[in-house]
Amino acid sequence: MTNEEEFQCIDRVLAGDQQAYAILVDKHKYYAFSIAMKVLQNKVEAEEVAQDAFVKAFHHLSKFNREAKFSTWLYRIVFNTAISAKRKNRQIFQSIENTIVEYNPGSEGTLESTDKKKYVNQAMAKLSDADRTALSLFYLEEFSLDEIAAITNLAANTIKVRIHRARQRMADELTLILKQEALTL
Amino acid sequence: MKKIPQTLDDTLMNYLDGSLKSEEKAGLEKLLDESDMLRSRLDELRIIHFALIETKPDEPSKNFTQLVMGKLDGYVERSTFPIRNGIFLLAGILAAVGIVALLVSAGVFDQTQTVIDLNKINIPKQYIQQTLPAISINGKVLINIIVVLNLGLAWLVLDRAILKPYFERRMQTR
Repeated sequence: MTNEEEFQCIDRVLAGDQQAYAILVDKHKYYAFSIAMKVLQNKVEAEEVAQDAFVKAFHHLSKFNREAKFSTWLYRIVFNTAISAKRKNRQIFQSIENTIVEYNPGSEGTLESTDKKKYVNQAMAKLSDADRTALSLFYLEEFSLDEIAAITNLAANTIKVRIHRARQRMADELTLILKQEALTL
Repeated sequence: MKKIPQTLDDTLMNYLDGSLKSEEKAGLEKLLDESDMLRSRLDELRIIHFALIETKPDEPSKNFTQLVMGKLDGYVERSTFPIRNGIFLLAGILAAVGIVALLVSAGVFDQTQTVIDLNKINIPKQYIQQTLPAISINGKVLINIIVVLNLGLAWLVLDRAILKPYFERRMQTR
């Protein structure tokens, strides 16, 4: 779906065709859910937050000024909703050991790759919400640095540096995790 | 273990991203040939880099779209103004009204009276030929009006910033 087609879809929604919004939800649900997941690291909460963000976006659709891409505007709502939800749940302590590491048995073949994914997820969990989201969006290759900056409310230059540093921190964490794993063997 | 300088670490990242110029790449590869530590750091960064490249978007539940569409009509815009701030604001207004009411009842404003003589205003004679009246303002009446306006404001704050958000939240938690 091109930007123009997306704007036409938005026009239909604004004209009262509520069902046209389902097309937009279908198109953007994966990245919206991924952003919420990166911030909240909990599938149930991320699902609820992503849905709430879509509902919020629907009711504020007339405020979307079409200067940016719809996806950027929407994902920014998702990111902000997820951050607010996380702030509300901050009292609930969630240690890294309790963090739900999503694992889809169908997508991984060997024990080695499963372990690698687990350790990478553990290292990623140690990053800040904004760094984790920025890094994921950067590697999903759908987003430019400017778009990532708009979604996370940070400057593009800051995002570039943060992505660099986040990867370096992840490499340090991974080395530490692997050393600890080796000691427990 | 000696730590690799930040700039060199950044160069290794740029090397993995493929954003180094050919001469910078050749220079780094020479350094990599000479240093085990640098090679080991590149391996660490490479693991992260390739693990992240394999990242796929997370998959939401199958009925995600239907759930969103079902929620569209039940949306209630929640006030972003915290109830606690509303309570502080209301307490401030009521305290100010209370203090002023005490002062009024103690007769502080009984003697406060002023007269505004409109003739003293510098207006060209060709526009007004008659003598203008003098307006008397009683301080006590003025303060009473301000107190009544503040009580109205307190009522608005109680309704909009405390009761409405409170009942909205109760409705949503049911």
